[in-house]
Amino acid sequence: MASVLPRTVQGPPVPLRWPPEDNRIPREIFTDPDLFRWEMDAVFTGPVWVLVGHEAEIPQPGDYKTLSVGAVPVIVVRGADGQVRVLVNACAHRGARVVEGPRGNVLKGGFRCIYHMWTYAPDGSLLGVSLPDDFPVEFRKEDYGLPRARVALYKGLIFASFHEQTPPLEEYLAELTQGMDRVLGDGRLRYLGSIKVIFRTNWKLYVENIYDGYHVTALHTGFQVVRLRSHGGQRLVPNYERNGHLWGQSRSTRREELQPVLRDMSLFDVRTKPTTDHNMMVVFPSGVVTDYFDTIQLRYVLPLAVDQTLIEFTFFARADDPEDVVRHRVRQGPAVLGPAGAITLEDAAALERVQQSSVARGDNVILKGTPKRFPPYRHVDEAPIRHFYQAYRRLIGVPVEEGTP
Amino acid sequence: MNNADDLSVREQAARELLARYVRVVDDPDRVEEWPDLFADQAEYRVVTRENLEAGLPISVVCDDTKDRIMDRVTVIREFWGAGGRLEDRHYNQVRPRHVVGPVWTEPQEDGTVRVVANFVVWGTPTTDPAPRLLALGEYRDVVEFTARGPRFRSKWVVLDTPVLQDVFVYPL
Repeated sequence: MASVLPRTVQGPPVPLRWPPEDNRIPREIFTDPDLFRWEMDAVFTGPVWVLVGHEAEIPQPGDYKTLSVGAVPVIVVRGADGQVRVLVNACAHRGARVVEGPRGNVLKGGFRCIYHMWTYAPDGSLLGVSLPDDFPVEFRKEDYGLPRARVALYKGLIFASFHEQTPPLEEYLAELTQGMDRVLGDGRLRYLGSIKVIFRTNWKLYVENIYDGYHVTALHTGFQVVRLRSHGGQRLVPNYERNGHLWGQSRSTRREELQPVLRDMSLFDVRTKPTTDHNMMVVFPSGVVTDYFDTIQLRYVLPLAVDQTLIEFTFFARADDPEDVVRHRVRQGPAVLGPAGAITLEDAAALERVQQSSVARGDNVILKGTPKRFPPYRHVDEAPIRHFYQAYRRLIGVPVEEGTP
Repeated sequence: MNNADDLSVREQAARELLARYVRVVDDPDRVEEWPDLFADQAEYRVVTRENLEAGLPISVVCDDTKDRIMDRVTVIREFWGAGGRLEDRHYNQVRPRHVVGPVWTEPQEDGTVRVVANFVVWGTPTTDPAPRLLALGEYRDVVEFTARGPRFRSKWVVLDTPVLQDVFVYPL
């Protein structure tokens, strides 16, 4: 049974200025700590599905990993029954974090809180407490399990929701499922590891950057150096009337036609796909799924503070990849799409600059592709960012006025 | 020269190589000299302790050939250098400062020397009031003695922090 987190506030805690034009984004939303706190409730525990992992990360019964859904620390765990659950990582007694490490297996012993030795089963139910004599007579262990999020799976992707009105996952994802089918195939993957890094930027600036096709050639100069271009493609915004996901599609120059600037050009190899078509997807609000080159990658965007965001880059192979393919993926993934990657580090620099100057107030403006009102957009357009903020505004209670799409 | 002398000479040479390494990676103008500190068959890896201990193969940096080590200079200068407009890119203006030590050396029977050393790398940006912790951990190196002198056969940079505190441009 899923439980829902209690909420007290029903609207934005601060009056929010928002320009009437939907291509203008007020910079205050990147610096206001009260708004940040409200987003953690209204967005991340609102009617959304938050990407929290892939089943390949917890293949065995009892395997678990930890991260957060917005501000809520969670444990993603495979039960003894094989079922995947998402539990709140806070003891039901006095709130101590129950699990400390990033991952492990809990089949033997259960989750044990160090504070008063309360112990929970892998499914979150309370197994036992220390010295329960003199407890109130009405105390029942059944009332003190770890709160659970709703969980839904698609091709092994694990999504969590803390809201009772979140629509069914496939309805929420809409045609984004087609992109996931391309990236995930039958969904059987092998987990290779992850790299976590702190970006000094607001979480929304990190996510909107992926909706933005305009910055790609301007900022990522590595693409110019090897003469890598997009030969067609488009940016779709599945479910833009409600959630506003991003599905960027592009076909890049084949490796044989690139400038061989590097001695080892396998960074740009595509060996595992019939074409050089790539997909770059955002599951609103904070999940990234991509198959750039031969790299199968998920990213989890974890807001730490109004100006700090933890990005976890997670890498996968297909379950039946031969070892030489696995090795290629291990060599390519972080070298291109990781914090030390040839075309990733620049985003950290650009986004930090936007963050630092957001205190200047005023508006950020979205122009490229905006004469068009609805998707599909061109792959070089930044217009999809508008739809990200429309979805965001619906959740924080500042919806776009009727008649201005 | 007796065997004990030879051992201490090799250990001293390995320490001097590490000192030279630090001088090079601390100076953004000298990154071109960095590949020559490695043998012709060499690797440079940056890994988190978390992935290493979990047996997960993903590295932060996986320069597992000399070619990839040489390519890193091209990536720093060309890819991240904005085609020579270095001043556009403030992340290239973070001056790194390595603090290394103590250094342990262990001569091996095959003639190489194992070098283990604690390190901290601070970055001082030109734009920010405060320096930043870029990386913290341990070097696990193997130094071999080539015709050109002592060179790294392998340099593993093991990061203590499961979460990178910042992106970094120059080699750790």
